[in-house]
Amino acid sequence: MKRLAVLAAAAIAYVLAAWMVTPGFYDGFGPLQPYNWTCPPPQAGANTKPSSGHTDIKVIDGKSDANSAYTQDGQIVIGFLPDSFDAAGKSSISVDVAPLNTCPQPKGVQFVTNIYKITADAPLKKRANVTMLYSNLEPHPDAIYRADDPSGAWTVLERSQQGQPYTIFASTDKLGYFAAGYVASSPPPGAVTVGGGQTLPIIVAVLIVVVVLAGLPLAVMRRRRSAAGDQEDEEDEA
Amino acid sequence: MISAVRSRSALRAGLVASYILLVEWTRVLLAQDSHFTVAALLLGGAALAVVALGWPANGLGLGKSHLALRVIGGLALGAVLLLPAAARSGAVPLLPAGLAAAAIAVSVGEELAFRGALYAALDELGGAPVAVAGSTLIWTVAHALSHPPEFLGAVAAAGLLLALWRWACKDLVAPIVGHVVADLAL
Repeated sequence: MKRLAVLAAAAIAYVLAAWMVTPGFYDGFGPLQPYNWTCPPPQAGANTKPSSGHTDIKVIDGKSDANSAYTQDGQIVIGFLPDSFDAAGKSSISVDVAPLNTCPQPKGVQFVTNIYKITADAPLKKRANVTMLYSNLEPHPDAIYRADDPSGAWTVLERSQQGQPYTIFASTDKLGYFAAGYVASSPPPGAVTVGGGQTLPIIVAVLIVVVVLAGLPLAVMRRRRSAAGDQEDEEDEA
Repeated sequence: MISAVRSRSALRAGLVASYILLVEWTRVLLAQDSHFTVAALLLGGAALAVVALGWPANGLGLGKSHLALRVIGGLALGAVLLLPAAARSGAVPLLPAGLAAAAIAVSVGEELAFRGALYAALDELGGAPVAVAGSTLIWTVAHALSHPPEFLGAVAAAGLLLALWRWACKDLVAPIVGHVVADLAL
């Protein structure tokens, strides 16, 4: 009984600890958060629209400060080194990051992320580092692509170091439109997924029902068997 | 005589803990390259399971008695592990099918290593309190590279729950089943 109480306390402690972090259970295999799609693939289920972001970078002694601009959902981050912008005559640089409302797919490239437009009110002087998250519902991207016009030509950016799972890095010398993808001569296969999403509450409900329906009879049978064993022992003793 | 046995137990527990940490951290670093993710998980799971070799099944909590109850207990543990995520299902990621087999390998390997061999080695060294606390501590440290810092509290709580099950029921089947179910469901 004491052991049962300790186990119950540990279970409650776990539920409280896991409740304090999203998504509530994470074992390091997939991305921490589902991807927020502009054009969700059919297997995505519930979808939240991707967010945009704005950053004002200070200019001190004619040089722009080190800073980064990112969307609120963190799906794209662009980092700037000190003196990255041509900041002549400015007291700050305004940088905007916004997802494109449409999802054009250029010929020969398959994008697996949203397309983001990054603009600033001053031209870049130094390379900036772009970090993009991608989803586990699509194949892994090979590179980040950049374009001046989403319906124009897309160029592959120089890829930086490996990073966290479901994250891709590259550096760029120009702002514009950015998306991660891979060279594709044919449409990618549909990504098959297991569990999660909208099915998770059903899975947990089924587990609880199975535990109750199968566990109770097993426990009762066990108790009857041990009671019968005790009775036999008593008869043997008599 | 007692001190010789104790120092041998301490050496064994230390070696098991060091090996597990080495395998876990190597697996996580290799898995960061998307080309090696599945291979790193499969090989990592196998390498973790290796540490349980040589231990008697009962010493690891893998006896066959009351197997049905153990499996049911595992499903109950899985439900508890998933409960917080299920309550906020709108923000739950999906596991790609390609990773499902790898997730099973890692779940089984981790349970054999942490609640199996490491627990048994620490139990031999200092009894159940040392086994529960020690396996939970090493479990949390082993996940420091794969999880953001804010998740480590939940990781520690999950490790404690599974270790306490191992202690209370002298059983490793349920932690294996619960861990596999939870990983597959997410």
